[in-house]
Amino acid sequence: MKAATVATHKGGMWAWLFQRITAVLIIVTLGTHLVFTHILSIGEIDYANIGGRVAHGAYTAVDLILLAAGIYHALNGLRMVLMDYWFGRRKLAVGLNIVLWIFGLAAAAYGAWALWPWIGYQVG
Amino acid sequence: MRGKPRETANVGAGLWKATGMWAWVLFRISGLVLVLYLFVHIGVISTGRFGEQGNTLNSIMKMFENPIAVLLDLLLVWAVLYHALNGVRIVLMDFGLGIKQHKWVFWTCMAIAVICLVFFAFAAFDYLLNGQGVK
Repeated sequence: MKAATVATHKGGMWAWLFQRITAVLIIVTLGTHLVFTHILSIGEIDYANIGGRVAHGAYTAVDLILLAAGIYHALNGLRMVLMDYWFGRRKLAVGLNIVLWIFGLAAAAYGAWALWPWIGYQVG
Repeated sequence: MRGKPRETANVGAGLWKATGMWAWVLFRISGLVLVLYLFVHIGVISTGRFGEQGNTLNSIMKMFENPIAVLLDLLLVWAVLYHALNGVRIVLMDFGLGIKQHKWVFWTCMAIAVICLVFFAFAAFDYLLNGQGVK
């Protein structure tokens, strides 16, 4: 009873491990992302302003890691919530995994495509 | 929790009286909010690829230049900080650290989250009051 109530591992060992690894990656990259965007940077956010940040290779790397880790962490978290209520049965859970992987990979590709024109952007 | 047998203390209604359970409820809610925000954010930023020289993105960004949007942003920062710092507590517990002292660890994490929030609140109110970001 107790184990069933508080289990955090039922999503699978690898999902559990990757959720922790992406969590640490997100803390570092999202911290960087937020501090650069809202604390160190200027007030108005627009196309040129974003370009000024993303133009730096290291910042691009931060954003791309954040994109990939964020999507994995978000969709696996969503999967854990859905499995607690509606997708507990194995067949449904497998279908859910497939849908989330397709959606996640598409979202990651779309996000990278969105950042692409800013890489090497010339300010002014 | 102290005094109750370990096997039954965290089962059933007892679960809902604990700090850890409310921490878990808020962790889920903040997590779901952040999932939604992430995909909206990717969608909004991707408008940089549409229109001339980021015109579409710039006009959307203009919509966010009002006090309500800035306060919602601050609320979002709180969701991030809560989720991040409670997540740190969970990872520490995975390493076997602070399990018995998890309430103390929770409130310490919350204190750190509040300190981080102050920096973002300063930036937000500076923007609201002076119409300028922090230089």
